[in-house]
Amino acid sequence: MGKPIAIDHVTKRFKTNTEADQGVALEDVSLRIEPNEFVAIVGRSGCGKTTLLNMIAGFLQPTSGSIRVGDEAVNAPSPERGMVFQQAALFPWLTALENIEFGPRNQGVPKAQRREQARALIELVHLTGSEKKYPRELSGGMQQRVAIARALAMDPDILLMDEPFGALDELTRSEMQQELLRIWEAEKKTVVFVTHSISEALFLSDRIVVLSPHPGRLRAEFRVAMPRPRARASQEFMSLYEEIHSAIF
Amino acid sequence: MNEPRLFQRNLIASWAGVIVVLLVWQVINALELVNPGIFPGPLQIADTALHRFPLADVLGHVRASMQRVIFGFLIGGSLGMVLGIASGWYRLLGKFLWGPIEILRPIPPLAWIPIALMWFGLGEQSKVFIISLGAFFPVITSTYSGMRRIDPMLFRAAQSVGLKGPRLLLKIAIPAALPDIAVGIRVGWSLSFGSLVAAEVLAANKGLGYMVMYGREVGEVEVIVYGIILIGLLNLLTDYLLYNVLFKRQLKWHFG
Amino acid sequence: MPSSSDGPRPTFGPRLARRARSFRVPDWVYGLAAVLFLLGLWEFAVAQEWISAFRFPPPSKLARTFEALLERGFPRGITTDVHLKATLQRILQGYSAAAVLAIPLGLFIGSSPYLDRASMPVITFARSVATISLLPLAVAWFGVGEFTRIFLIAYGCFWIILTNAVEAVKGVPRQYLFAAQSLGASPAQIFFRVMLPASLPRIFSGMRVALGMAFLVIIAAEMVGTITGLGALIMEARNFYRTDVTMVGMLFIAIIGFLLAHILGWLERILLPWVSDLEEVQR
Repeated sequence: MGKPIAIDHVTKRFKTNTEADQGVALEDVSLRIEPNEFVAIVGRSGCGKTTLLNMIAGFLQPTSGSIRVGDEAVNAPSPERGMVFQQAALFPWLTALENIEFGPRNQGVPKAQRREQARALIELVHLTGSEKKYPRELSGGMQQRVAIARALAMDPDILLMDEPFGALDELTRSEMQQELLRIWEAEKKTVVFVTHSISEALFLSDRIVVLSPHPGRLRAEFRVAMPRPRARASQEFMSLYEEIHSAIF
Repeated sequence: MNEPRLFQRNLIASWAGVIVVLLVWQVINALELVNPGIFPGPLQIADTALHRFPLADVLGHVRASMQRVIFGFLIGGSLGMVLGIASGWYRLLGKFLWGPIEILRPIPPLAWIPIALMWFGLGEQSKVFIISLGAFFPVITSTYSGMRRIDPMLFRAAQSVGLKGPRLLLKIAIPAALPDIAVGIRVGWSLSFGSLVAAEVLAANKGLGYMVMYGREVGEVEVIVYGIILIGLLNLLTDYLLYNVLFKRQLKWHFG
Repeated sequence: MPSSSDGPRPTFGPRLARRARSFRVPDWVYGLAAVLFLLGLWEFAVAQEWISAFRFPPPSKLARTFEALLERGFPRGITTDVHLKATLQRILQGYSAAAVLAIPLGLFIGSSPYLDRASMPVITFARSVATISLLPLAVAWFGVGEFTRIFLIAYGCFWIILTNAVEAVKGVPRQYLFAAQSLGASPAQIFFRVMLPASLPRIFSGMRVALGMAFLVIIAAEMVGTITGLGALIMEARNFYRTDVTMVGMLFIAIIGFLLAHILGWLERILLPWVSDLEEVQR
């Protein structure tokens, strides 16, 4: 059973600048994410959404406040919180299959078992046939599929995604959005998804959190109750879009 | 913009390494762990620098070396650049030139010494020849490659505003190839400098390489080490000037 | 020079070039033609006594000398393979000594920002010292034997491989480390399974440059104190006024230089199949 993420009055200050305002990336952000919820975090550049995600992952520590997953505080990265980066960050010296096996291999999972598991994941992300390809031989969309499969290989409760489709072209991007929904519905994980596309957030998530920049603060929250798959041209979609848009700008 | 404390910490760390090395060196020397006759310590070297070799003499050697290397570098470098640009611009020339250049390129400049002595005798010319070879090959290779790698879009853009022929070459091709040419120049300088030292160590009567050889002949190891250090510092200095002063200023748009 | 296989490019040269391209004559034919032409011209010039056969031995003579070197050798008894073995052995010993020391040290220094900053001035200076200038010093310390030559090669290669290894570690994208951490890898696993493979391309790059340096150094080092080795060959030839031997020796040097420059490249393509562009690191 999944665990909720509790973000309590989190403030993050960076030490590189002397100007008071710009040193604060996030100020007093509180948020609660329920298990199996798909939450999108949107906002303009500099609002701290990636910083927040990195803190949930455990790469950064809050200056004050806390982040808890279930009962435990987050203070280091863990395979329970799988991460997918914008640039895929696949290991170029490993094939797609080997990339996916990376996590289990380090945990000592025997070869036959992890191979089978990896093959199942390749199937899940619809990449059968590309197992032995190196990342450089894969398109952007395919790389992101491998990245998702790699994160899923550790069976995390939570999937953290930092603008994973930001580097893809329009067509691939919408294809990947549908793929992600399909995978999410099959695997049922908590997803925290950072994006600066309102349309993407509306298409994918249960709830949208808007952050405003300088300093990063929680501006607004929107519940998206529409059944999936969502029609981008529908009345409800477009009016929510307007609301969120004005919350950001 | 950067915190003053961070900058200071970096500075201290950099100097710490140098100081540690000098200290260890001096200690080894003081304790006579190795024969100080053949392994002089930093203080001995400093003494040699200050007393044994008056600055005027040293500057004379430096000047002799620098004259040779600059002269040879300019000859080899300009020839390399001209031929590189020409063979990059006129494809046919490039294809013909490729053969002889590729055959000669793997030969280290120093390997030309016997031929150079045969053709030019024992004088300055043979040394300058070797040095110019050191500059020629890296420069022509980088220049040619730079010319070939120019984005065709740049040409189309220029042609659409009416540029053609020699003006296209001068105003578009050469500036676009400059970053690669610059790298070739830097490597060429380094190779020229190395060839200079070798040429002087092997046969000269003035210059830093000669100074090192002289130390050997009279059996004063301090002089040898002094010369070696001077060469190293000069190499560093000239490369720094070349890169930071010339490249970064003139090619700010690329290196800055 | 690279062959023109980088895709369609507009020709900005004379029309002749365009016509030549349409026949699809491979580039190397031009190069070969140019070389053969120059050789022919050379032979002709000597026959016409425009240039002296003494200073410019014609290709016909060089061909004979080439054979003689292989069979009888120069100086008498020392055949080409003896020279080759001597040179290659010295390179191998100096180069591997340098690599074995520099790679682990470089990985270590690269992993520690403080060590990196502290050692940078020292390494930069040591690398700027012209290796040949160390010859007299090395002779004073070790005499004129093999060790001196091997030491010089090792010195020249060490700093190049070291700086590249340090840069290799520093250049590993942080994303890889983050990804590995969030996949539950331990620090040791991250070092051996992420840092190391990620650093290999750059380390290889440094090793390529260092090999070139080794070759440079050995030719120079062989010019004093020995009569075996390619550098010694051409120097000895001069002492006997055998320009033809010098030139053939230079040809051998060119061939070996070419092979050395490409061996690592070929090896790299086999060992590192995932690297998409093997860029030349210039320094």
